[in-house]
Amino acid sequence: MIAPHRLSIKFFFDDFSVDVESFIPVFHRWIREDVVPNELLLDVADYKHIVDGPAILLVGHEADYVIDLTDGKPGLLYVRKRDVGSDLSSALGTTLSQALNGAKLTENDVELKGKLKLRTDGAAIVLLDRLNYPNAANGDGADSPAVAAQAQLSENLAAVFGDDATVTRVANHAREPLTFKLHAPSAPDVDTLLNRLGSGD
Amino acid sequence: MSNIGWKDVLADEMSDDLAHEIDIFEGQMELMGQGKLDEKVFAETRLRRGVYGQRYDNGQRHDGFESRELAFDEKERIKGPDTLWHAPGMQRIKVPGGGLTPNQLDVLAQVADEYSDGILHITTRQDIQLHFVHIEDTPDMMRRLASVGITTREACGNSVRNVTCCHLAGVCRTEVFDATPYSEAFAEFLLGHDDVQDFGRKFKPAFSGCEAEACGLVMMHDIGYLAQIQEVDGNPRRGFKVYVGGGLGTVPHQAKVLSEFTPEEEILPLAQAVSRVFARLGEKRNRNRARIKFLVAKLGIEEFRRLVEEERKTLPHDDRWTAYMDTLPHYEEKPSRPPTFLNGQVRSSEFNQWFETNVYSQRQEGYSVVTVNLPLGDLTSQQTWELADIARKYVGDNVRSTVEQNIVLRWVSDSDLPNLYEELKAIGLGDPGAGTIVDITACPGTDTCKLGIASSRGLAGELRTRLTAKSASLPDAIKDLKIKISGCFNSCGQHHVSDIGFFGNSRRSGNFKMPHFQVILGGKWHDNAGSYGLAVGAVPSKTVPEVVDTITSRYVEERSKGETFQDWIGRIGKKEARNIIQPFMQLPAFEQDPEYFSDWGDPRVFSLGDIGIGECAGEVVSLFSMEISPAESEAFEAQVALDENDPARADALAYSSMLKAARALVRTQFLDVGDSPDRIVQEFKTRFFDTELFFDQYAKGKFGQYLLDRHSNGDPKPDNDAAHRLIEEALLFIEATHACESKVGGNVLVEI
Repeated sequence: MIAPHRLSIKFFFDDFSVDVESFIPVFHRWIREDVVPNELLLDVADYKHIVDGPAILLVGHEADYVIDLTDGKPGLLYVRKRDVGSDLSSALGTTLSQALNGAKLTENDVELKGKLKLRTDGAAIVLLDRLNYPNAANGDGADSPAVAAQAQLSENLAAVFGDDATVTRVANHAREPLTFKLHAPSAPDVDTLLNRLGSGD
Repeated sequence: MSNIGWKDVLADEMSDDLAHEIDIFEGQMELMGQGKLDEKVFAETRLRRGVYGQRYDNGQRHDGFESRELAFDEKERIKGPDTLWHAPGMQRIKVPGGGLTPNQLDVLAQVADEYSDGILHITTRQDIQLHFVHIEDTPDMMRRLASVGITTREACGNSVRNVTCCHLAGVCRTEVFDATPYSEAFAEFLLGHDDVQDFGRKFKPAFSGCEAEACGLVMMHDIGYLAQIQEVDGNPRRGFKVYVGGGLGTVPHQAKVLSEFTPEEEILPLAQAVSRVFARLGEKRNRNRARIKFLVAKLGIEEFRRLVEEERKTLPHDDRWTAYMDTLPHYEEKPSRPPTFLNGQVRSSEFNQWFETNVYSQRQEGYSVVTVNLPLGDLTSQQTWELADIARKYVGDNVRSTVEQNIVLRWVSDSDLPNLYEELKAIGLGDPGAGTIVDITACPGTDTCKLGIASSRGLAGELRTRLTAKSASLPDAIKDLKIKISGCFNSCGQHHVSDIGFFGNSRRSGNFKMPHFQVILGGKWHDNAGSYGLAVGAVPSKTVPEVVDTITSRYVEERSKGETFQDWIGRIGKKEARNIIQPFMQLPAFEQDPEYFSDWGDPRVFSLGDIGIGECAGEVVSLFSMEISPAESEAFEAQVALDENDPARADALAYSSMLKAARALVRTQFLDVGDSPDRIVQEFKTRFFDTELFFDQYAKGKFGQYLLDRHSNGDPKPDNDAAHRLIEEALLFIEATHACESKVGGNVLVEI
């Protein structure tokens, strides 16, 4: 299956009680210290004035890292924008490993250490590509890319998160991007997931 | 699945003109990638498609300690002078008069989340801007916008910018008449018009219905139209008082009256005549003196008026001048719900607070305009499509953006207001305070602008937070003051026309630079931006909240009954105003207070190292260069069509490319050649072929004959070979056009 134009994964924080503003100096330091392998980090965008939105963005060339408060569910959103991959499977691999790497960096950051924990037992996955992955309603005839994508994501994510991991489609409006929810009750921690993806230390 | 693009999917949903323009732009991108287009020509080309540069696109960024290179791929590949191809940029999207529909909001939200950072930003010209956009994504983005009738054409560059119009036009209680259909006709008429392609700088129009309100802010525009009705033979006649030569920028000018009354049928030819005078006599080489305000000041309004009147007499008649007037008697907005009243409904205190500031009672009984107060002009993709649904439910297509970076929902049936408020609040858009001191306007500043010096958005966010926290206890006298902030002296935040304005600059303290804001007091938003404020001194950025507190406290203490802020500033004078801020002008050393040496929302040690060259700056490109570029793009497209085994399309494109090249050449001598192929070929033949100016030293008239032959063949029926031959001929013809222009010497210049 073709790689989507953009692909994002959001992991959710457990007991988020950090002032989002504290991410601004952290992200600036990440840029200065070039902490993310294989990605060019560009700038920090401050959108904390927006209610329930992307509060602080670390804007990159290939991907953005977002402290995202949308729907009142704080999390680290990783948006892969360029060099997504040759197909959906590789795009998912790249996006997932970089998102988990971002989660690890966040949890272990010297200024944030001990304050944050990202849950690995669930995630939101969004295919930002309405051309190739229209968010057509189930069974309306135009939903075959969505059905196929769900099958592909299920297969790939079960191999990483465990056999009991399930991927369900979020029933949002057709104009919104195709969105899936990962539920992984027996998911291991970030390091183990990265090792399974071959991206560990 | 992978071979079908938006171009194919949306082919039937875009107008032919918009679709073709976007194809040409895509072709020009391709040619630029192949190194076949001049970088300055391409820069102006993309600017005229709204594809703008953004901070750090020169590949450098100061990290607080040193300026460091950003390791973009293919650093040799550029999209303009000192602008890297792969660096993300800004896309400006024109919204004439701010008019938006729910379907357009849906698509804007979609392109924002697929191509930018998912944030839509409303500008002070009612445009929408998306940031961090990669240039490769722009053609598809434009196609998706075109599918709902939105163009980005001439959103930037030396062109007619978005035509602004009061967001209350048509429902206002004090307007003379609704200026909306006139502003729409103006925008449509001048979009891509031949006479607006050769300006030395941008040109900003505005339409207004009321003299005393802020309305269209015509006094600060290059050209401004203020609605008037005159009695003629006992009958009321619609027209406009026309202003020209206003502008903010570093040197603000109040507009001058060009005409006390221009009847409605004359407003478009008048604009065309003004455009011609500006194109012909406006400064081209020195961008700092190239806005029309400098031309008006140099000539004097009487001489400028005389030249415009003379020019008007020479204009060839154009049916479009008055064609729109047939629609005026039928022009109306349709409310989606019947009028109702709010009487008797239970209201929460939150609702009452919002109602007081965000609801304007229309002159049509039972209806109101609701202002959706957007913090810093921003909303997310998700909020945008949720807002689109709210609009569908309550007001239909009656949505507009405002120059104060908000969105209004018009024709809200009054009894719907409580439910509407709850629904806005649920999506994070229920903030009260629209149009008050907490509703602060700010340009992008150092967040994304290449010219930004200080963080206008960071400061605006801080002030908004602090003032909102104490809004309940703010004295009435200051609640409705306007605060507007620009990141530099270029005035995009419109600081000159606010009660309390700021623009970014810097001062040195020891070995460090400190972000500052110049304080501007007493500008007037009302009376169509009736007067500009006084600059009283610069203060460190981190002191601005205290400066605002101090100034407003003094005003509350000292004002006499009914005295406006402008009157108070006028009464105390510049010297005393400066005394008020003097205590804040002392600069601590870095060691004393390092906080002063970073900006709001940006912990890096302040630097001016990230300021780039504005994309409007300094390069001179001939009109011929700008107009031959689409010809080259079409010749390229013709080759693509041939590769796709479509000889008919290849032939048509090759022929069209020759016509475009010939037209570009003819327009170096005769600007009014128009678009008719017969006329273009006739003028080309008379001026360049018959005179042998077009002749090659060895090939003689061969290349010119290619055009004449193809033009005389009304029914070509090309096969692949014939189409291939014509493409070759078109390429040779275009080369010969370049050679001829060099030989003859183009004399029409544009500056980017």
